[in-house]
Amino acid sequence: MRKRNLQRGLSAFWWLTLAFLYLPLVVVVVFSFNATNSAAHFTGVSLRWYRRLLGNEEILSAFANSMILAITSSVIALVIGCLIGYGMYRHRHRKLGWLIVLIYLPIVLPDIVFGISEMTFFVQIHRLTGLLQPGLETMIIAHVTFQIPFVALIVYSRFVGLDPSLFEAAKDLYASPWQRALHFMLPTIKPALISAFFLSFTLSIDDFVISFFTAGPESATLPIYIWGAIRKGVSPEINAIATLMIGAVAIAAVLSLLFSYRRPTRSTANHRRGTEESEP
Amino acid sequence: MAYSDVIPSLRSRALVSESRHLLFTVAPGAFWIFVFLVLPSAYLMGVAFMTTGPYGLPEMPLSVESFRRLAGFGFLGWSPGNLYTLLRSLWQTLVSTALVVVIAYPIAYYITTCREKWRPIMLLLVVVPSWTNQVIRTFGWMNLLAPGTPLANLAESVGLIDPNMGLYPSNFAVTLGLVYNFLPFMVLPLYAAFEKLDTAQVQAAQDLYASPVRAFWHAVFPQTLPGLLAGTVLVAIPAFGMYVIPELLGGGKGMMLGNLVANQFAGSANWPLGAAGAILMLIATFIGLFAMRRVGKRLGGGEEVVI
Repeated sequence: MRKRNLQRGLSAFWWLTLAFLYLPLVVVVVFSFNATNSAAHFTGVSLRWYRRLLGNEEILSAFANSMILAITSSVIALVIGCLIGYGMYRHRHRKLGWLIVLIYLPIVLPDIVFGISEMTFFVQIHRLTGLLQPGLETMIIAHVTFQIPFVALIVYSRFVGLDPSLFEAAKDLYASPWQRALHFMLPTIKPALISAFFLSFTLSIDDFVISFFTAGPESATLPIYIWGAIRKGVSPEINAIATLMIGAVAIAAVLSLLFSYRRPTRSTANHRRGTEESEP
Repeated sequence: MAYSDVIPSLRSRALVSESRHLLFTVAPGAFWIFVFLVLPSAYLMGVAFMTTGPYGLPEMPLSVESFRRLAGFGFLGWSPGNLYTLLRSLWQTLVSTALVVVIAYPIAYYITTCREKWRPIMLLLVVVPSWTNQVIRTFGWMNLLAPGTPLANLAESVGLIDPNMGLYPSNFAVTLGLVYNFLPFMVLPLYAAFEKLDTAQVQAAQDLYASPVRAFWHAVFPQTLPGLLAGTVLVAIPAFGMYVIPELLGGGKGMMLGNLVANQFAGSANWPLGAAGAILMLIATFIGLFAMRRVGKRLGGGEEVVI
């Protein structure tokens, strides 16, 4: 009896917490359809803020900047991070403490310290050499720096999860290291590469502080634009862009759910195939 | 492999190629992080020990002037402003971390009691809000706490705030924003701890007629401690350096260390002062990490606290 009461109380608490987590997002979505420019009263449904959005060139260019930044930085981070992840696995019996420290540094450094270090450094380099003018270029560099560790750790943990005899088998099958990389390693770690790419992409889109400090006058991303709009005074247009971004996240959430339900069967299949191959 | 063990020259050649392999795979990334993060941070630390020139930019000679300024010693004598900001950051971190624990603990437990097929969905529901941009989430709270909204009206009718004042900017709004922002970071590690809980220990405690409270304290709580520690690291350290939430929800009287630092690089620039603040933040971060590691190791669950 007592146990059931506890369970009921927990269930109520769960729904309350969910309400707490989703309330701010729901408010943004609802008020993006508000007919008047009021943050307190909902007066009727209209799409005027969305129409206004389409005509706003600043927003469109901010969107384009966000996309260019996220895709370019994720691709660079994927290549570099994947190499480190493999290196860490292959040489895991060596003492690589310095490498671990280096890889964890971008993760543990507070955002604000990260952003400001990069900003001051870029500004001084630019003053001395004329290179690295604040803009998309510097933002891409900064984003790649915080994405590399995540890619490396995902790829590394995928390699650790593999049966070591697979590597011996691949050595017997393919003569050159390049062939091995192309026909054995890349296909085996493909799921890890895909999730690492999406994580990098999300990290880039999610980031505000580091982008804010490394951006130039022409390279505002969506979050930076929204930040500026909030500082200038709240406009319902912000609700409309924010709603579109929330929609994108919702789609990503559904996709990741579908993916997580499919993955177990696939990985067991892989594993089975792997053990068969490794048997002589 | 066997040959290289027998013939020394082959082995040394293998070692050389191994080293080259290490260099080839690890060097690009290590170089990238070194050039674009280690060097910049080192430069920032150097800036803290320089003099403030015109336009707030750093200049020679070296001095500790910026640290004196950070401690509150200005041209007009000592003022407590910066000290308040520092204490407020510590207080906000402490309060929000404690609140996050209080909310996340039952939630994580509840998820493990639900059917297995629902658990991934429930975890996803907790995490998804944190996938949206921090600025947007905080903007959502601004909408909710503004004057004239139901929450503000409620607070007004109870007499918590003056009429026609919203619930933000205020320290309360900052705490709320921090709790909201970091809740998922605590739920996930706690869930992992609860999921592999050894129920035999709980059973044993009950068989020995332990009261529910004692059973919890001796059989359940110690087992979840590694998750709790990991969560505390993930919440407290970024909370201490938070910039966006106090900037939007706190106003001038809700400023935290992150805002103090950031302000020195925009508007009223003073790079050395900002750099000194950044050093303070780094010291706090590393003390926090180190302390958690020590505590984690002593509890024997050191492996769980990855960072």
